[in-house]
Formats: sequence, C-alpha cells, structure tokens
Amino acid sequence: MRSSTFLRIWVGLFVILFFLYLFGPLILMSFTAFNTPSFPRALPWECFTLEWFGVLANDQDMMAGLRNSIFIGLGVVLVAVPLGLAGALVLTQIRQRVRPYYYTVVISPILIPGVVLGISTLIFWDRLGTMFNASYDSLFYDGIFLTIIGQSTFVSAYAMLVFIARLQRFDPAQEEAALDLGATHVQAFRKILLPFLKPAIGSASVLAFLASFENYNTTVFTIASEKTLTTVLASKVRYGINPSISALAVIIVALTLVGAVVYEILRRREERQQQGISAKPLNLGNPVTYLVVLVFIAGLGTSWMATRFDTASCKVEAAEQKRLETERRIRELQQRRMFESGQPGTQTPAPQPQTAPKPTPGTESYPNIFAPQNLAPPAEEQPEVQENGSYQNIFAPQNLAPPAQEQSEEQPGQPEAQENGAYQNIFDPQNLAPKKE
Amino acid sequence: MSGIRQFFNRNGVVLASFMLIAVSIWIIFMILLPQLFMLDFSFRFNLPPAQVGGPDDVYTLSNYEFFIFGSPNNPDPFNVIDVTVFLRTLLAAICVTLFDLALCYPMAFYLAQSSHGAYARLLVLSLIVPFWVNEILRAFAFRILFGTTGVINTFFLWLGIYDEPIDFIRADIALYAGLGYAYILLMIFPIYNAVESLDRNQIEAARDLGSPWWRIHWRVVIPYAKPGITSGCTMVFMLSAGALAAPQILGGPSNLWFTQIIYQWFNTGGNWPRGSAYAIVLLLACIAFVLMMMKIFKVKLGEIAQ
Amino acid sequence: MSADVQLNDVWIRFGSFVAVRDANLIIEGGEFFSFLGPSGCGKTTLLRAISGFQDPSQGRIMIGGENMAGIGPNKRPTALIFQNLALFPLMTVWENISFALEVRGASKAERRKKADELLELIALPGQGEKQVHELSGGQRQRVAIARALAAEPKVLLLDEPLSALDLKLRQHMRTELRAIQQQVGITFIYITHDQGEALTMSDRVAVMSSGIIEQVGNSSQIYDHPETAFVASFVGENNAFPGTVTDLDQDTVVVATEIGPVRARQYGRQNAKRLTVNDDAIVFVRPESLRIAQAGSPPLDNQFQVRMTQQEFEGNLWQFFLQLENGKIIKMSTVNDGQLPQHSPGNTITAGFQSDLAVALPKGPLAAE
Repeated sequence: MRSSTFLRIWVGLFVILFFLYLFGPLILMSFTAFNTPSFPRALPWECFTLEWFGVLANDQDMMAGLRNSIFIGLGVVLVAVPLGLAGALVLTQIRQRVRPYYYTVVISPILIPGVVLGISTLIFWDRLGTMFNASYDSLFYDGIFLTIIGQSTFVSAYAMLVFIARLQRFDPAQEEAALDLGATHVQAFRKILLPFLKPAIGSASVLAFLASFENYNTTVFTIASEKTLTTVLASKVRYGINPSISALAVIIVALTLVGAVVYEILRRREERQQQGISAKPLNLGNPVTYLVVLVFIAGLGTSWMATRFDTASCKVEAAEQKRLETERRIRELQQRRMFESGQPGTQTPAPQPQTAPKPTPGTESYPNIFAPQNLAPPAEEQPEVQENGSYQNIFAPQNLAPPAQEQSEEQPGQPEAQENGAYQNIFDPQNLAPKKE
Repeated sequence: MSGIRQFFNRNGVVLASFMLIAVSIWIIFMILLPQLFMLDFSFRFNLPPAQVGGPDDVYTLSNYEFFIFGSPNNPDPFNVIDVTVFLRTLLAAICVTLFDLALCYPMAFYLAQSSHGAYARLLVLSLIVPFWVNEILRAFAFRILFGTTGVINTFFLWLGIYDEPIDFIRADIALYAGLGYAYILLMIFPIYNAVESLDRNQIEAARDLGSPWWRIHWRVVIPYAKPGITSGCTMVFMLSAGALAAPQILGGPSNLWFTQIIYQWFNTGGNWPRGSAYAIVLLLACIAFVLMMMKIFKVKLGEIAQ
Repeated sequence: MSADVQLNDVWIRFGSFVAVRDANLIIEGGEFFSFLGPSGCGKTTLLRAISGFQDPSQGRIMIGGENMAGIGPNKRPTALIFQNLALFPLMTVWENISFALEVRGASKAERRKKADELLELIALPGQGEKQVHELSGGQRQRVAIARALAAEPKVLLLDEPLSALDLKLRQHMRTELRAIQQQVGITFIYITHDQGEALTMSDRVAVMSSGIIEQVGNSSQIYDHPETAFVASFVGENNAFPGTVTDLDQDTVVVATEIGPVRARQYGRQNAKRLTVNDDAIVFVRPESLRIAQAGSPPLDNQFQVRMTQQEFEGNLWQFFLQLENGKIIKMSTVNDGQLPQHSPGNTITAGFQSDLAVALPKGPLAAE
C-alpha cells in the first residue's frame, strides 16, 4: 500500500513537472509581453503595459513578413493538398510490389532535414534558371515561388499522410457503386470520394498552412531577398529583441488555444454524428470548457488590468529603482570586464549595459544581452537596416540619459571577407554566427 | 504498361491524368531532381555565373576534401573545426533524443494507460498547443528563461542560491533544453499511439505473475511500443540534427551547429557548391541514421514516418 | 434487345492465379439465376466481370447480344448490389435512391418522383428524408435494391446481399427479393455461398468451385442429380463412400467401398466420360436416404452393420450418427413422426439404402466441411 502511494506521488510530481516544462516557457514569455522593460523579461515585474502590442502592430518588417507568410501559406495549401491527395490515391492503387519503393520516395521529404530541402530547391531552380538564361526577376529566382515549392515538397507528404489515414476508412465499393449507377469517373470522384474526404481536406489544409507558416529551416534558404514572418522573427530574435515579439507569441498562443478548442469541438461533433445522436450532451464539454474558461479569464484579467492600471506612473517609479540598481551593476561589470576582455570571440569593445529611465517602445537598449559574458556572436556584423530602431543604443556608451537615436545604424558592420562574391546579392549579407577561423 | 491502362480504366482519363501528372511533378521536380542537382553541384567548383558551363566547370572532390581536411594551408591533419562541429552536432542530437525519450516514455505510458476520458483528452490536447507555437518563438521563450538576466538567473540570484548569473547559453544548456522541448510532441505521440493499443490486460497479467514494474516495461510494454519508440527517436534525432533556428537563437557563440556552417556557406561564405557538399554530408548522416534505426529495431520505413 | 447474359469461354487470371476457368453459360432474360459456391470459388470475380469492374483475360461477355468488351461499368445495362450494400453514408435515403438519375442530370422534381415510386415498391414510403444510418439492416437492404433499380438496369447483379442479416430477416428477404424480381421482371444474377438462398429463390443455379462452373441446373437437378463429386458434397449433406468401380451396366455401377460392394445410379455430364470398370469413384448417399433395416421388410439394396453413437432431435427430424466398422461416422436422418427412435446410442444395427437413391460419381475434390 505504501509503495503504491509513493508511486502515485512520484507520478503526480512527474506529470506536474512535465507540464511545467511544456507550458512554463510559454507562460513566462507571455508575461514579458505585458511587462514594461524593453528587453523581454518576466522577472522582475515592473509595470503592466499593452504598449508592446502597439509596437508589434507598427512593425513594418513584421507586417510585411506576415503578409508574405500568409500568401506563401495559401500557396502551399493550393499546391500541397492536391499533390498529397494524388500521392495518397496513387498509393492505394499502386501494385503491391512497387508500393514500398514509391512510399519511400514520397515519404522521404519528411525525413530529409529541412535545410537540405531548402538548399536543393534553391540550387535546382537556380541551375534551371541558368540553363534557360532566365533573368533574375523571373520565377526561377523568386523567393516566394521557391519557398512555396520548397515547403510543398514536404508539406505534401504531411497532407498525404492525412489523406492515407482517411482513405483507409473509405470503402472503395462506394466509388464502384457510383460508377455502376452510371456516374462518370469525375462524377464519382466529385459526389462520393470528395465529400468523404472533406474533413481530411480541411485538416490537411490547416496542417499545410500551419507547417508553412511556422517553417524556418527550408524557408531561410529559398526565400532569397524576400522575408516571411519567421525569417523576420529569427533575425529580430538573433540581433536584439523587444517584447513586441512576446506580444506576437501571446497572440499566437491564444490563436493556438482557440484553434485547439475549435478542433476539439469539431472532432466531438463528428464523433457524435458517427455514433448517431446518442452521445450524452452534458459530458461533452469538459476539456473544451476548461480551455474556454481559461482563455476567457485570461482575456478578462488582461483587459481589467489594462483599464485600471496606470502604466505611466508605475514606470516612473520603477525607473528610479532601476537606475540605482543599474548603476551598481555597471560598476560590477566594469570590474569583471577587466578579467574577461581577452576571451575569444570578444571582438568588440564590450557594450555597456544600461537601461533607459523612460523606456519608450522601440527605442530601448538591451541590458546585458551583449555583456561580455553573454556575447551574442554577430553583434559586430550587423548591417541589417532596422527601420524601427529596435537595436538602438546597443553600443551606446554608458549613458543614463534618454538614448540617442539611430546609433546602431551607424555602426559599420565589419564586412565579411567573401571567399567569392558570385552570389553576394542573392542573400542578404546578414551573418549571425562568428566566422570560422 | 498494362498497369497504366488498368489505372486509366479504373480512374477515368481525367482523374488518372491528374494523379499521374501531380505525382510525377512532385516526385521528379520536387523530390528527386533537386537532390540530384544538389549532389551534382556539390562536385563543382564555385564559379562566377559567367563561367558556369564553361571550360572551368568541371567535377571536383575539393568540397568534400575541404570538409575533411580543411583548406590546403591547414596545419592540422584534418578540418578540426568542421569535423568537430559535425560530430558534436550528431552527438548532441543523440543526447537530445535520449533526453526526450526519457521524458516522453513515462508520460506517454501515463497518458495511454492511466488516464481516461476528458482528462486524457485535455492532456493530449495541451500537448499539441506548444507544438503549434512557432519554433522561433519557442526558442525565444527559452532565451527569456535562460538568459543571463533570464527568469532562472533572476530567480536564483534573488533566492541567493548563487550570486553570479550562470551563462546557460554559453553552456548550451538553453540549446539542449530548447531542442528537447521543440520535439516533445514528435516523441510522445508515436509512443502514445503504440502504448494506447496495448491491451491493459497484458500488463495486469504480467503483474499477476509477480513481475516487478521495470520488468513489465522491459518485457511487455517496450517491445510492444518499439515501432513508436523508433519512430519518435528517428524524428527527434533528424529534426535536432537538422535544426537551424534553435542553434541560431540559443546556441553559444563558440559552439556551432552543423546546419549553421551550411548556412554560412550559403550566405556570408557565398560558396554554394561547398554548402551543397556539407548538406550532402548531413543528408547522408541522416539516411545512415534512419537505416541504422530500421536495422537495429527491425521496423519498416512506413512505421517510422507516420 | 433481349436481356440475356452470355459468357463465352471466359477466363480471368490474376498473375498466375486463375480465378475463373473457361466459363460458358447463357442466362436467359428475366431469369433469377444464382451462382453458388464457397468463398474464393471465383463467383464474385465473375460477377465483377459481368458488371464491368474486371476485364476477362480471355473470352467474351455478351449482354443482350452485345459484346461488353471495353464498355465500362457506368455504361453497362447492369446494376450491382454490393455485399456491404455500399450505400452513400453522406446522402439521405432518397438521394441515394435517385443517384443514378442525378448523374444523368435529371431535375430534382424528377428524381424525387422516382425515389418516391421506388420507396413505395420497397415498402418504405415516406422514409426518403432519413439518413442511411437511421435505417435497420433490412431497410438498408431494400434501399440498396431501390437504388440499383433506379438505374433501370436490364440485369441486376447481387453479391451476397443478405449475408449481413440475421437468419429470420434473411429468410424474409429471400421471399421479398423473389417478389420484387417477379414484379420488375428483369434478370437477377445472385451470388451466394448459402445454398438455402440459392435453392429457394433461383430459377437456375450454377455451382462453382475453384473457378470452374461445376453444374448448371434448377434447384432439384442440383440437389437430386449432382453431376460432380463437388456438387454432391457441397449442396446439402451427403455421406461419401469412395471406392473402385467393379462392374457396370446402363444406369448403375457397382463400386467396391469400405461398406462392401455398393450398387448406385450413375449420371455424368452430357458428353462427359462415364464411369468404367477400375475407375476411382465415390458413392454419395444423403442422410435422408439411409434407413435402418426392419425385420420383416424386404432387405435394402445395400446393407451394412453400424453402431449408433449419438442421436439429435431437431424438431422436424431426427439426426443419427452411425459409426462404421472402420470407425468412420456417417449421418442418417428421419422425419419426426411423433415416435421415439427404436434404437439408442451404443446399439449395433443394420443400416442401408436403395440403389436408386445413391449416386456414383467420378472421384474428384470434395467441398471442405
């Protein structure tokens, strides 16, 4: 008896820790979206604010990336869903002997690393373009087109798996029955198979869109000079961050939750349809209701905070405290720098961490990210032009006064020694990781 | 040929043509040819566009030689940086895989065998939610967590457990935690699906026979869930080894991931053929891993990719 | 154009496997024709060939005098009722029934009217708006028939449509199917492994085994005058006594068997080789043809000693299990005339049968139990 109680406690503890690991990072990230410090941090909590959502909405890069991502996502749906459907239909009909080979080929894009898919797509179309002497503004070099093709390569395989699962439950006699009753093949397909596949087409489309929307590994190679939300995000996260990214994350987490709830409701409805109308209506809401209530409370709390809380006065208070704290830290850091300045990888004069007393969205500095012990590699090679100035003041000398504008843009990126300039202009010359020696 | 005719008879001209054309485009122009072009390209010199197809455009092994031995004036017997990064990436990916397996197997077992009804649905559903959050944002969340001024450091400094912030990023702890986090779903679901179909009576029977819990798992559950475990391990390994975003965001400054080197050859390095050669090396490693898993655990490809 | 179905030298092969071997047959217009055989005998393949889902590897299929080669299932004057019915689950009952009209582009009013007529015919008036899953098994059955009839086929093909129903409903549906067939007057081709169905409903039955049509005839011909060992063993119950022919005359042969020399009738297919001396043969005696020799009555043509091992009462008849001297068990049945059997298990008795109730057939494969 005792050992089983122990086991129970251990299991309970494990489950709690597991879900803490699963949700903790997301929840903390969500907190940072509502906290005033301009570097996303959940601790210490300073002031509640919604300003980062405004910063997000005004971020032209992000919005442009979002538009491209949506366009590409829709393109991928249009390409990958029909391909996946055809792939699945062929699989159901192909001869037993050939089937394993066929399956290996069409499933391989799932197992091939995303970067390899991106690279091979890029090279293939580049070579084709060279063969046909196509101009650089033709389709062969169009980042959006290449990204749709590159992503569709593996998204089609996902879609195919969805269709295979659904087709396994299809009774081929139905299609035969339709034919036997005089339908043409196209009629049988449209009136029998397609309605049956409708839920699968729906899930495959959603899956394809989401997979495309969040893809980075393939996109970063095929996108060329264009940008998608993920590539914009990635460069922002790499080069410097403000909590508008957290704000985006909050939105995405919320959308995901809503999506999960909708999915669950649809699934239940379908389940009920299949069982007839006999399902117990009271029990059906459970997990869904939890989620709905959760989202609702979160939303309510947020808006209550937003109306009640005086962000401005809180900020002034916090700023004073922070200033004192920062001064203390700077002194410490200066001392430490003396020891560490010789460390490999430290190529720039260590920027001083400093916090603006009056944080204004987008014109903030990043305490400690670029502190020597935490040196983000590419700091010195950052030629990317940021319109909203999110990197300003990174290199500002210690300065507690409101930050001078536009400094980071004047920081000359140390130009990379290009081994070969042939392709220089195809990609943004942005470079993150330190160059190998 | 009769197969094609049968196919057309069975599906009608319109649909049969659609299926054949769609599948051909997919297989030939999206899967096979790009890989072959990349392979071909990896055996070429890095030439400016004007010289492509010219007399200098010949095949060479130099890109692979570079990966192994480095540049000609490299004093070391082999390309220490790249080979080390390559091996370390594979090793780290294996560690991430094992970490996920250790984390997910008990959880999958718990979900499949010990929880019921709405509660189980809620757990399963809540597993999916983090997975659909953009991978960049997931990595970002770990940066918030593990940064020098991150939540963990701030919290423990405040508690006074230690008084110097720990650089989790440089120690790659953030990276491993983030990678492990990113692919939990891909580990847990195959195992969950496999364990769920296991008849609970089998476990009861084994328990009745007096087997201790670890033996029940070792002799009954694990063999049964083997295809799921293999599938999960393969997917997590492949995705970890091929990850790019997480190492870029969470990786320490001096510890590169192999994909980052590939990325460099394409971007700042501007040497596509060499990048292709490196991509081929990664691809071969992944193929070798899949084949190895198939061989060791005697599962079919169809059971891995699901 | 008459609605007869002709099979001329039809072969159907899957790789090296022969599913149908040299089928030759004429099914008359308006006939209720059954293919009877165990599963895997090729009857479903043959049906799919008639409906157009399977091309014969060789030979011709003619419907109404027209060669069907190259004509797809959607262009043939046939309608198939699938074993699992294959009703369209996403459509209502009336949409199912009027599907054939829908694909021809008939107006909704027209389709509705036809559906209502057919619902009347299958005795489900006013049920058109229901979903398929709301119907009972027997109702689905009838909807499937109505759906097929809506296509106005000349030949209706039925692939074991009753196999999913319970016994009572099955027996009821037999009568109903037969009634519908007589009402609409078109050719029904019925596939079944259930001899009760085949024998009760059909005008004629073709018994198939391993891709071969063993015998074609009406129910009593099939039952009383089996032409092959397979038919004799598959249709109804039969006791088999294998042996060698020792003597023969015009209509009877003498076969040396485990119960001694037995005299039996012989039939053969027309033009088929008849039994001759030294041929391997099997004598078949039905349980109801076996008797217990009564003292005082004239002896039976063939008599032998058995030990009664078991008796079972089935209401309308008694079943007796008799053990031969070599240990083999044979079956005997008698009509229940209200009297208890005279012998009880363990008794040794003399059993036997008259020669004209026993059939000698060339040795061949028997139906599996």
